[in-house]
Amino acid sequence: MIRTPLRPLARILEARRRGENPDSIERENLRLRHEAMRDKSRARAETRLLCLGLAFFTAFTVIGARMGTLASGQPMEPRSALAGSEISANRADIVDRNGRILATNLRTYALYAHPKDMIDPERVAVELEKLFPELDAETLERRFTDGRSFMWIRRKLSPEQMQAVHDIGDPGLLFGPREMRLYPNGNLAAHILGGSTFGAEGVHSAEVIGMAGIEKALDDRLRDPGHPEPLALSIDMTLQSTVTEVLGTGMQMMNAKGAAAVLMDIKTGEVLSMASLPDFDPNDRPQPLLKGDPGDSPLFNRAVQGVYELGSTFKIFTVAAAMDLGLVTPDTIIDGKTPLVWGRFRIKEFQNKNYGMQTVAEVIEHSSNVGTARIALQIGALRQQAFLRSLGLFDPTPVELVEAPGARPLVPTKWPEIVTITTSYGHGMSASPMHLAAAYATIANGGVKVEPTLLRRDVPVNGPRVMSEETARHSVDMLRSVVTKGTASLAEVPGYEVAGKTGTADKPNPQGGYYPDKVVNTFASVFPASDPQYVLIVTLDEPVETTLPTPRRTAGWTAVPVSAEIIRRTAPLLGLRPIAPEPEPDHLLAVRN
Amino acid sequence: MSFLEYRLQTVPTGLRKVLHLNWALILLLTAVCSVGWLMLYSVAGGDLSTWAEPQMKRFAVGLTIMIAVGFVPIWFWRNISAVAYLISVGLLVTVDLMGHVGMGAQRWLNLGFIMLQPSELMKITLVMMLAAYYDWLDVKRTSRPLWVLIPVLLILIPVALVLVQPDLGTAILLMGGGAVVMFCAGVSWIYFAVVIGGGAALIAAVLASRGTPWQMLRDYQYKRIDTFLDPSTDPLGAGYHISQAKIALGSGGWTGRGYMQGTQSRLNFLPEKHTDFIFTSLAEEFGFVGACSLLALYALIIAFCISSAIQNKDRFASLVTLGIAASFFFLFAVNMLMVMGFAPVVGVPLPLVSYGGSAMMVLLTAFGIVQSAHVHRPR
Repeated sequence: MIRTPLRPLARILEARRRGENPDSIERENLRLRHEAMRDKSRARAETRLLCLGLAFFTAFTVIGARMGTLASGQPMEPRSALAGSEISANRADIVDRNGRILATNLRTYALYAHPKDMIDPERVAVELEKLFPELDAETLERRFTDGRSFMWIRRKLSPEQMQAVHDIGDPGLLFGPREMRLYPNGNLAAHILGGSTFGAEGVHSAEVIGMAGIEKALDDRLRDPGHPEPLALSIDMTLQSTVTEVLGTGMQMMNAKGAAAVLMDIKTGEVLSMASLPDFDPNDRPQPLLKGDPGDSPLFNRAVQGVYELGSTFKIFTVAAAMDLGLVTPDTIIDGKTPLVWGRFRIKEFQNKNYGMQTVAEVIEHSSNVGTARIALQIGALRQQAFLRSLGLFDPTPVELVEAPGARPLVPTKWPEIVTITTSYGHGMSASPMHLAAAYATIANGGVKVEPTLLRRDVPVNGPRVMSEETARHSVDMLRSVVTKGTASLAEVPGYEVAGKTGTADKPNPQGGYYPDKVVNTFASVFPASDPQYVLIVTLDEPVETTLPTPRRTAGWTAVPVSAEIIRRTAPLLGLRPIAPEPEPDHLLAVRN
Repeated sequence: MSFLEYRLQTVPTGLRKVLHLNWALILLLTAVCSVGWLMLYSVAGGDLSTWAEPQMKRFAVGLTIMIAVGFVPIWFWRNISAVAYLISVGLLVTVDLMGHVGMGAQRWLNLGFIMLQPSELMKITLVMMLAAYYDWLDVKRTSRPLWVLIPVLLILIPVALVLVQPDLGTAILLMGGGAVVMFCAGVSWIYFAVVIGGGAALIAAVLASRGTPWQMLRDYQYKRIDTFLDPSTDPLGAGYHISQAKIALGSGGWTGRGYMQGTQSRLNFLPEKHTDFIFTSLAEEFGFVGACSLLALYALIIAFCISSAIQNKDRFASLVTLGIAASFFFLFAVNMLMVMGFAPVVGVPLPLVSYGGSAMMVLLTAFGIVQSAHVHRPR
């Protein structure tokens, strides 16, 4: 800093010479210097003030602009976007074909605790035990006081329970909203819906994921936010309820340990009803069985997973194949003399009957093992396999259940002629009732392959042709004669022209061979025969009909009457009009004319 | 410049001071307070006695105090600055130790006849103290580190005491007011640049460290920052006030729903509708026009203070006027920004409009000092 000397000697001397007081000069200098300094600091202060003013002005502008944008904008309700709430279920509903709810979501609350915020953990534990007997006060109190800062208490609370917990009034008890899957119809269609469980869980929400059935098979579709619209099934709730009820009563009357039914629209392949008994409540899925046969669990879907030897119901496939190949016509005479000896096997008829020479139609009517075996031998193994495969009996069914792909039909690995013979009447090869339904639908549909589905489809199937229309027509006629003249006479429901085929198969013993007194009875029916529209499969597991002193175990006495009752009750619901019987010829009029 | 240097003969004396008061400023203050009464009457549902009437009485008392303070020569206020500062710090310590807890924070001191909030008092005394300090300090030393450290300490002591309460809003206001006084006193740019740069770097570092092994804050603290930055993430929790306030502001539109027609505030959606969030009621009932008018009144008050400070050749008077103007500015700016979601909810009332006696008294006393500085300015 360059200092200006206060008293430059030259100036002092000059002042003295002029007779002035040097002190006044000094004072003048000082004043000038002070003024310069003050001006400088003033200028500086003014710059600062300008900056400050600018800052204030900016702030005012920002506030004003913000008020402007807020005033011009539409007021918006705030939406929660809290971390974690994006996994809020929002799972699509599942409805039946008429839009009635089968599965929906319910907002409930989960109860959790922040033990560190608790005022009186002891009292809370006691009060909670009073509300929820499954909780233990001592354990709870120990957990509340062991220093943890978070714990779940219950995953689901009803509104009443929530209020009761509220009334405990402790700030350490907190509720987290969560969407819960609700199946308002309880057990109805349980095996189709399957069930759901919580996936990723947070305090604010929990992910709902499918656990079985269609909930799991179509989990991605149901969770897709782009498809909030309900998923429509092919199931009709009214039919489902009726079928389940009749099947349950039938199962009880026939002393069966399980039962399954599939009702299908042959034009579209839509499954209108699918029931498996015993069933369960998907709201509260039972635990899978840890030991024993998983097939005995109520979770087991007999209609899809239950792969049984379906017995004589297969005979129609053999006959249809032969007719389609041109080997036989319904009137071709077949040698039905028993026993048919093939190597070391002797093929006999049920109850050791002997039908002798019979037409192909009679083979089906009588359910003749020997007759079918002879036809099968004409067809040959390769053509037989090809025909069965074309009916879809060698592959899992394509229904939209997570269990379906695992339910592979049990097909013999080798195919010697004896297998051709046994397969022709439905032994040695197993398939599920759903397979059978699809195969019968194919026949009833005039020979066009039917792919079963559980989703509402509404358009007729356009599958490959499996057999000629004529073959299909003859097959249905033969099935009709089974009811009118053959083993399934109890299936006759006036007006609905039921056609069908019974099947009684011995249950295989896991230790080898077959049980002598355990059977699986199946009745596969098509109605009405003159214009087939629906297929109904009823399977009873280990039924026995005991109204007579000798117990009867054939399908004609068990599965058939149950099927008849189902058809009697569902046909009006399906909108079928009973076909009036041909009037008796009026003899008086005939004579007069 | 000592008070002996004032050209006393030009400073009005006795009742003549009435003529030299800054009457425009008094008029503006009364106008702002009147807006407050209108709104308090409205949010009380058309009831005078709930909030509006006590507020009017307080204003009458406060106005008297302001004029009385304005009559006292400014050099008296400068001379008692240090004492006033020390008393305020003492009161703050007392309130921290044995204060009355209200709304979850320990802010109030019961003096028997009045509930005093020492942090309010601190806002003025700190500004006075700093102004007196810079008046005393040789201008040449203003930017020396040691002489910068002293005012920084003078600011940080009350800030720390207020943060203990805890009262983040007042702490911010104290720092803001103090910083403005230092800035106007001519402390070098460099210090401000360093402090602002350092603060920004710290914030950046804290945010950048998220999710890394050297994370500086806990997760829940980051979550709070998130909520502040985007209140809509938690509209029922921490973001509740803001969301509701925004709805009120938005539903007011340009001209508002009309006086006494506000729904958001009347239906009790808004918490603290008569104190911190009274601005939303105003915005809803009078819309953008009303809100901007209030903003204009505030701006005019600030402008009058600044112009008074520029005219004033006395350093203390000028600095104290600016400091009080700045504190006032920070009060309503923080409140408005908070209501509009630009700043976190820190609990700062809208000055002179929100219901509350302590804050209004202190503010009017502060403007009394501004008046005193104006009346006794060297001419």
